[in-house]
Amino acid sequence: MDRSDLTRMTKVEVVVTGADAPAVRDLFRDAGATGWTSVSGVSGLGHHGEHQGRLLFNQQATLEMIITVVPDDRVDALLAGLRPLLAATSGVMFVSDTWVSRPGYFT
Amino acid sequence: MTATTSRTAFRSMATLAGRILPVHHPVSAFIAVNPLGGFEDRPFARAVADAGSWYGTAGTLPESRFRAAHAAGRITADDVREALNTVLPDLPVRDALLLGGRSVPVIAVLAADLTHAPAPAGRSRRATTRSEVRAPAVAETIDAAMSKWCAAFTGDQPGWPMPGRDRGFYAAWRELAVRDTSLPRAARAGLRSLPETADAAAWSSLSRLDVAADDHLDYLRAHLTRQPGWAAYARWCGERPVGARTGFDLVELLAVRLSYEAVLLDAAGTRGPQPPQPPPAPPAPSARQRAALVAAALGVTAADHELDAVATVLAAVPAERRLLIWQEAYELHYRRALLRDLTTNDPATKDPADPPPDAQVVCCIDVRSEGLRRHLESLGAYETYGFAGFFAVAMRFRDLAGGAPSDLCPALVEPGLRVAEVPAAGAAGPAGRHVRGLGGLARGEDAFHAAKDATVSPFVLAESAGWAAGPLAVIKTALPGTAAALRRRLRRAIAPDAPTELDVNRVVPPAERLLYAHAALTTMGLTRFARLVVLCAHGSSTENNPYQASLDCGACGGHRGGPNARALAAVLNDPAVRDQLAGRGIRIPAETWFAAAEHDTSTDRVRVLDRHQVPASHRGVVARLHADLDRAGAALTAQRCADLPAAPRRPAARRARTHVARRAADWAQVYPEWGLAGNAAFIVGPRRLTAGLDLGRRAFLHSYDATVDPDGAALETILTAPLVVAQWINCQYYFSAVAPQVFGAGTKTVHNAVGGLGVLSGHTGDLRLGLPWQSVAVGNRLVHEPMRLLAVVEAPLARIDAVVDRNPVLQRLFGHDWVALTAREHPGQPWQRWTRESWKAGDPAPVPAAVKE
Repeated sequence: MDRSDLTRMTKVEVVVTGADAPAVRDLFRDAGATGWTSVSGVSGLGHHGEHQGRLLFNQQATLEMIITVVPDDRVDALLAGLRPLLAATSGVMFVSDTWVSRPGYFT
Repeated sequence: MTATTSRTAFRSMATLAGRILPVHHPVSAFIAVNPLGGFEDRPFARAVADAGSWYGTAGTLPESRFRAAHAAGRITADDVREALNTVLPDLPVRDALLLGGRSVPVIAVLAADLTHAPAPAGRSRRATTRSEVRAPAVAETIDAAMSKWCAAFTGDQPGWPMPGRDRGFYAAWRELAVRDTSLPRAARAGLRSLPETADAAAWSSLSRLDVAADDHLDYLRAHLTRQPGWAAYARWCGERPVGARTGFDLVELLAVRLSYEAVLLDAAGTRGPQPPQPPPAPPAPSARQRAALVAAALGVTAADHELDAVATVLAAVPAERRLLIWQEAYELHYRRALLRDLTTNDPATKDPADPPPDAQVVCCIDVRSEGLRRHLESLGAYETYGFAGFFAVAMRFRDLAGGAPSDLCPALVEPGLRVAEVPAAGAAGPAGRHVRGLGGLARGEDAFHAAKDATVSPFVLAESAGWAAGPLAVIKTALPGTAAALRRRLRRAIAPDAPTELDVNRVVPPAERLLYAHAALTTMGLTRFARLVVLCAHGSSTENNPYQASLDCGACGGHRGGPNARALAAVLNDPAVRDQLAGRGIRIPAETWFAAAEHDTSTDRVRVLDRHQVPASHRGVVARLHADLDRAGAALTAQRCADLPAAPRRPAARRARTHVARRAADWAQVYPEWGLAGNAAFIVGPRRLTAGLDLGRRAFLHSYDATVDPDGAALETILTAPLVVAQWINCQYYFSAVAPQVFGAGTKTVHNAVGGLGVLSGHTGDLRLGLPWQSVAVGNRLVHEPMRLLAVVEAPLARIDAVVDRNPVLQRLFGHDWVALTAREHPGQPWQRWTRESWKAGDPAPVPAAVKE
């Protein structure tokens, strides 16, 4: 696939409970992320069993996925904050290379 | 480390450090929380031990209180036996030991130890700060300074705000603290050289204090738990939506605390590399010493080898475990009685073919509703239901006056709906007069308070208005009921009531209205309707009470729930919603009308709301129900008077009414009502389970009909939301009673309010957490019996298992003994106790009955 007109960056996806999500968003902000996407009520099967993501009146216990894309030079700062936080919770993190068409949106 | 990495790493660590703190919501919108919520990831026994190390607090009542309860029969020998079996499953409690040549059951030995061993010493903080150990005077100075600056930064002083508040707590403090002449000159010099940012200052101070990297997290926790009130408030501030933050959070707070400590220890010349040592704990009595006391208690002279054998058994039961045995026994006593009552309760079974009741009343699950429901049902053909008092409408609500909106929903959810009170059709004129009148009253009140709170104007105010304020204060004190009536009359004259409605059916999309209407009806199992269905919210009227919100509806975020009841009633009266509900199998007859009401729990008056909307065809039944609600409230009031300090003991209904009305209006009254004191159980099932029983206003009652919930969705909603909120309330009361110094707010008589965010005991110190002592006790007598919540559920056990299996929050609560779960599928079946392994019979196997009373 031709990616010559795209810019390489790093995508960080975090899945945590709704109770932990504000702390993750704060770290994104402190690390200089210019935005993120949140998906609440995510479901799936993982280390802690099946999550159906359908709790009607408890957003704190529902899983939330928060996705951000940052330039490479901001990744270390972001991970320095996320690693200890996730080590103390049941949350998981996926870090991957990504390519974006509008780099100005992310810097 | 780059500046950004420094910032994220410290924020992360501060966030983790704060996990062991409660969240302190402002008292003006009091939200009950489990003060040990950060410890729910471990069993209760370990949680209270761990928390005790940080906070230096007890996790149960002191042993002396348990022993007094035992002596008074509140804890019986059977309770002790069963508790020993439950807490010590691995001990050979069914075996016997030789003592003085005779065989004594191990369980009798353990019971004698419970009643005769020396009580354990109080807990003290094991994790301490450098200054606590090396220079306690410096630690005191830091605390005093923090109280001063935290109050200045966060307090509500519009006329004299702390300069630099827009730049955050650390920056504002750094600018001003260097001018604090109460500090030594050397300390002020140190403050001048502090870094510009909070995280840099915190890292720098940790380094100057010589805290090893591996100890950073614990060290931050030692600082936060030194003054947990301000820290818990900083945690709440830092977790607010970004737009609502004020620059006061754990990073900022820790930066200031650590900076103070590094600078002041430097100035005092006490900074050094040696690690802090916890103060030595007083030696506990040995197991051998306890064995001798047991022998004496049993009246036997034992040989040394016999005492050795007893000591071996007792060594497995250290003093802290003994407290947990007592706690278990204390709870078992209540729980067994409750389950026995539920088992033998046999109200007349309703036949689906029976005519519908005259009216159905849906009350909040709040324990105070139980009394009202009980008395109302005794008066006629009424059915009552229990449902979380926000009535499934999680909304941000703005009333007609248009002030700041309130979030009327549990803290577990964000208010997804925006609803406003608007003039009813054709009532724009009266509504305008009402709003103008309220505005005038508010301006007058604001002007008075602004003059009272400013620097110089109080002198002028005293001269100009003192002649009126003095007599008014006398009337408010001597004749509170009269003063309240005058105020009401004045308010009605200036701002006459106007008919209004909520715009919920206009601003909330139909699909969402359907979702919440369907969720509410199916969750409480209300699928067969009377001509009149009343959604009865609640609130409490009290005077001069910073903790007013703690008496309002917890499911409504510490507010009165009337607007939520009005909103759901409006939705359920909407023909379009009814058509859609019919499509989902819920058919609401055309002649059914949903009305809203509000129960004032301090006076037990129930007000029917939006009466102008009641159709003529239903006015008669509304009037009859209202009259019966009034009679039910009067009977409940008379019953409540028996428990209220200085209330008439057995008053006639009229006298009881007058008394509680005076009480609610009395600005010097510290016991306006008992709120949720006594709460101990959460019962999920049809009303048949509890109808006719006097549960003593101690049980949250959530209606549930397993037959209309085949997939368990409603049960999952109940257990993951209302039960969780009930557990917060339960733990708030529990720890306010067992650890009042740290997790309670102390006596009301010395409270000083800091804006609307909390209170101090006196003029300085830590922000107080939890509930005032007068919410749980009278003098030294506890009115609230601190017990963990018992959840009682009537539903298929496999369905409960499935719900627990897919919800970690429930696995924590039930699996870690924060909440006990008991269930049965059908009436007549024995109760089963949930354990991590399997369901177990509710009644344990019999054990030797050789325990001395």
